[in-house]
Amino acid sequence: MTADVVLRLTDLVKTFPGVRALDGVQLEVRAGEVHCLLGQNGAGKSTLIKVLAGVHRPDEGVVEWLGEPVAFANPQAAMKAGIATIYQELDLVEDLTVAENVFLGHEPRRAGFVRRGHAAARTREILGRLGHGEIPPRRPVHKLQAAAKQIVSMARALSHDARLLIMDEPSAVLAHDEVANLFRIIRELTAQGIAVVYISHRLEEIRTIGDRVTVLKDGRTTAAGLPAAQTPTAELVSRMTGRTIEYVFPPRPPEKTGQKELLRVVNLSRGGEFSGVSLTVAAGEIVGIAGLVGSGRSELLETVYGARRPDAGTVTVDGRRLTPGSVGAAVRAGLGMAPEERKSQALLLGEPIYRNVTLSTFTRLARFGFTSARRERESAGRVTRSLDLRPADVDRRVRTLSGGNQQKVVVGRWLLGGTRLLILDEPTRGVDVGARAELYRVIRDLAADGVGVLLVSSEVPEVLGLADRVLVMREGRLVRTAAAGELDEDTVLDLVMAGSLMEGAPA
Amino acid sequence: MTATAVKSDVRRRWAGENSENTTRNLVLLGVLAALIAIGAITRPQLYSDSTWVWNNVLSILQLASVIGVVTVGMTFVIIGGGIDLSVGAIVALAGVWATTVATQSFGAGGMIFTAVAVGLGVGLVNGLLIAYGKLVPFIATLAMLVAARGLAAQISGKQTQISESAVINGIASTKILGIPLLVYILAVVAAAGWVLLNRTTFGRRTVAVGGNAEAARLAGIDIKRHTMLLYGLSGLCCGLAAIMLTSQATSAQAAMANLYELDAIAAAIIGGTLLSGGRGTIVGSLLGVIIFATITNLFAINGLSTEAQNMVKGGIIIAAVLVQQFRFDAVTRLLGRIRN
Amino acid sequence: MTQSSRDLSRRRLLLGGAALGAGTLLTACTSNEAEPNDAQIKTGGSEAAGGNAAPGTEVVIGFSAPAADHGWLGAIITNANAKAQAQAYPDVELKAVESGSDAATQRAALATLLGQKPNVIVLLPHDGKELNAFGLEAMAAGIPVVNLDRAFPSARAYRTQILGDNYGMGVAAADYVIAQMKAKGVAAPIIGEIAGMDELELTQTRSKGFTDTLAAAGFEVANRRAARFTVDSGQQEASQLLQALPRMDALWNHDDDQGVGVLAALSQAGRKEMIMVGGAGSKKAIESIQADDSPLKATVTYSPSMASSAISLARLIGQGRGLGDLVELQVPKEIVLASETVTKDNASAYLKLGF
Repeated sequence: MTADVVLRLTDLVKTFPGVRALDGVQLEVRAGEVHCLLGQNGAGKSTLIKVLAGVHRPDEGVVEWLGEPVAFANPQAAMKAGIATIYQELDLVEDLTVAENVFLGHEPRRAGFVRRGHAAARTREILGRLGHGEIPPRRPVHKLQAAAKQIVSMARALSHDARLLIMDEPSAVLAHDEVANLFRIIRELTAQGIAVVYISHRLEEIRTIGDRVTVLKDGRTTAAGLPAAQTPTAELVSRMTGRTIEYVFPPRPPEKTGQKELLRVVNLSRGGEFSGVSLTVAAGEIVGIAGLVGSGRSELLETVYGARRPDAGTVTVDGRRLTPGSVGAAVRAGLGMAPEERKSQALLLGEPIYRNVTLSTFTRLARFGFTSARRERESAGRVTRSLDLRPADVDRRVRTLSGGNQQKVVVGRWLLGGTRLLILDEPTRGVDVGARAELYRVIRDLAADGVGVLLVSSEVPEVLGLADRVLVMREGRLVRTAAAGELDEDTVLDLVMAGSLMEGAPA
Repeated sequence: MTATAVKSDVRRRWAGENSENTTRNLVLLGVLAALIAIGAITRPQLYSDSTWVWNNVLSILQLASVIGVVTVGMTFVIIGGGIDLSVGAIVALAGVWATTVATQSFGAGGMIFTAVAVGLGVGLVNGLLIAYGKLVPFIATLAMLVAARGLAAQISGKQTQISESAVINGIASTKILGIPLLVYILAVVAAAGWVLLNRTTFGRRTVAVGGNAEAARLAGIDIKRHTMLLYGLSGLCCGLAAIMLTSQATSAQAAMANLYELDAIAAAIIGGTLLSGGRGTIVGSLLGVIIFATITNLFAINGLSTEAQNMVKGGIIIAAVLVQQFRFDAVTRLLGRIRN
Repeated sequence: MTQSSRDLSRRRLLLGGAALGAGTLLTACTSNEAEPNDAQIKTGGSEAAGGNAAPGTEVVIGFSAPAADHGWLGAIITNANAKAQAQAYPDVELKAVESGSDAATQRAALATLLGQKPNVIVLLPHDGKELNAFGLEAMAAGIPVVNLDRAFPSARAYRTQILGDNYGMGVAAADYVIAQMKAKGVAAPIIGEIAGMDELELTQTRSKGFTDTLAAAGFEVANRRAARFTVDSGQQEASQLLQALPRMDALWNHDDDQGVGVLAALSQAGRKEMIMVGGAGSKKAIESIQADDSPLKATVTYSPSMASSAISLARLIGQGRGLGDLVELQVPKEIVLASETVTKDNASAYLKLGF
């Protein structure tokens, strides 16, 4: 099989001031395989990708590409050699068209003029190969959905005649049916002999699409080339963490009855997003909404929270109607929200932890308009200790925290304010396995203390495992409400996708 | 806490943003010292007279006083994620309005009230347009720049309006303990600005709104109201500056405070205020203003041309932005590496 | 226009004329009687020698000057407007366009003006060099151009130019300073200069006249700062000039408008050891000279009334007539207004001229 090896990394080391980000990585990728890279946040996956993409240069070790030792001076060099990278945060130029993005930096030219027609035609051809001939090459990228953008990113990679495609958490921005399509495309590419390095937090995806798995921990390869389908989950998880947890939900508490109703939403509608939504959340109850991206679930949460103004319908808390479209009113009534996009919607990345934790309460902690750093640090310290936030240093800037700890900062913000109803939009997105379990525990503990929780997640097991009651949302409407115990994953998936289970869906 | 823990605590805090600001301000102080040293080397006969040196320091501070007050307001606006291009025009409008024959008939109190009210009012109009009218700050304040200068020209009939008020004119020539009143005013405004930014909920909201407006909004902060208040604050500073400038020139006209917007923005940037918002210091801005005033002074005492002076100022602005970008990039890169 | 309204407008001019007064004295090349100025109309002297005031063919005059927010320019605009409104000449129609704050905007405004096909264009260019091409274009199109105040480099770009004497201002200011220093017996005086906007050629010309003349007497400028024709810039630059020159014997400030700020800086610094000479000749400055209450002892004029004269010249050009008292059948190609020195002795005569 040696002849088939396109990429081989041996004892790769990369250090940054104070950190040994890669500390002996081995990796062997064969032509036509999907090679999964597994590891917790901070295990060195991102650094490894950047080394392969020519962004960083390794300090020690050998990179062999097609049998030759190479050192890529810059990303262009890597791309030219046939290594294309699709980053988690898509690096498309929003205001350029699809074709312009695909051929950005290597536009087909004649006498110094870009051959726009030619570029569009070739883009159409590549998109067709990807099974997405319906994406118009001349449409500006900002008008596309997230899934289509990812297709464009892949088209860009293929436009370079890539022989190795690196995909960093490609499914994070996709809904379920879009993931299925992604997998179909990946299979077609590998059938053509293209190698794929696939990074994901989701074990189920790795089982579905992966051929072999390499596990990283603390910058080292802890397992190389394990068979993706057969290796027991327990082994993979223990290689990653030393622990054996995945989707570990705390035991469900005995069913509570007679809890006071906290939130009542009646006939809430917003043009083009959702309509006629009614729901209730009681104190201490966790209500989960399952639905695809684009089903109107995030928009619904934001409207309940007052961040969007409804066209019709009411939101009442404790029987008192909230001012529509006023976050301030919602917060005063005891609502809190952890939005979907943590970095852009919830955090001041350059500010210390304590100021992020007290972002909604610093006014209350202040006296006569003067803030108190001491009181804020104390309050934030209490919260971060109870959430087991690491590092526990409240003066540390949020930018330096991992995804899970950043999410704890956002959730912690609302613990301080005496929030009675917490709205969580994709609470575990981008959070590694270990931190997920901790977040689940935190959410359960909150409910046990009488806080109502309304959450949305793309991951059906998460909704089923965490919520007391599940609402299924499709195309802006609630199509089913049931106790979590009455539903299983298949039923929910079926409802979410209107009874048409797509081909090749991951189990 | 053990001694080592305390030490590491201190080191960590110094390793953060505080040290970044402190370093920058120390660098600015170094630049200032260098400029003064150049003055002393090039004009030794002037610098040998200690009375002259003291007077020169006061003259520099006086030169910095009016634009300094404007820059304090500008710093808040920029930290809050905006920009105010209309400050010079507001100063001119407030000055002209305060020196009309009608206003002057109410005496110094009436003139001060008018200038401050006009400044605050125009600033709030800016804020309304931006926060509630959803205009881009650049466009809204650019329009206000044109409109306010136009209104000032209309009110003054394009003539210079002489201030007849001995009280107003006296502000610029009054000294307390040998230090000009204008310098005290700047000191008080800057100190108030520092407290407002670093020790009050208003300042915290400013940083939050500028650092991440959506996060601030979803945390329950009324960002529209706060944005409006920020421009009101800037206008208020302009009103105050208008009185100071009118007093200095013993008159007002529509063309005065020319390009103050550029001077104020440049000073804030040199002082380390991030143009994209969320970060900046009053001390840095103040040092930026004083550095500019010192350059003007340095060129004046050496009898060098204004053109050269402007080129040097431009060079310093570019250098400051380059340093800022370099630092910011370097920090971002470093953090990115650590995360990986 | 009816006879009665014409009378009315003429009467309005009579009242307004006092302010303009002798402003249309063309001291360089013509006499009172020769020029159909306001004073003549006021005194009913329209039948004076030469008969220039007698109505002729209808003339449409286009007028363009940069946006004015400063005293002297303001005076010019006001002057032109007064002319237009008063319609001193029943046979003149004035089309005025205000032309922004830079040469490009003015060029755009002039293109519009050209499209309206006036008989004559009176133009105060933002910058003579930058708008030279327009002068050529208009002249080529058969529209005579009267250049006001800022000369075109090309002689074919204008029919007539009427200029203040910027170099002469510097000369007059220097002459006064030299005389005063000699009278005081100061052998090597320390002389300061506050110029106007340094990027304008006129500022350079004024400074050159000043330094040339001083040099002839063996004097030199010790330090020079450029202000921006505004009160606050005058104060600022003067305050720095005072720092640079702890002792000063004489100070020439190019512009009386910014001079308000310069005088404020002097008084704030408690400095009054020098004699100060102003420029342009504002009402406030002349009053101050007359009262002798500040270091300002004299000012050298730059006539603010030349726009009125320019309109009068444009009318004559449009009608194909010459200046009444001159033998020539056409208006001269160039008229330069001399700079005069206003001191305490003659201040009262100039007071009504000041803007």
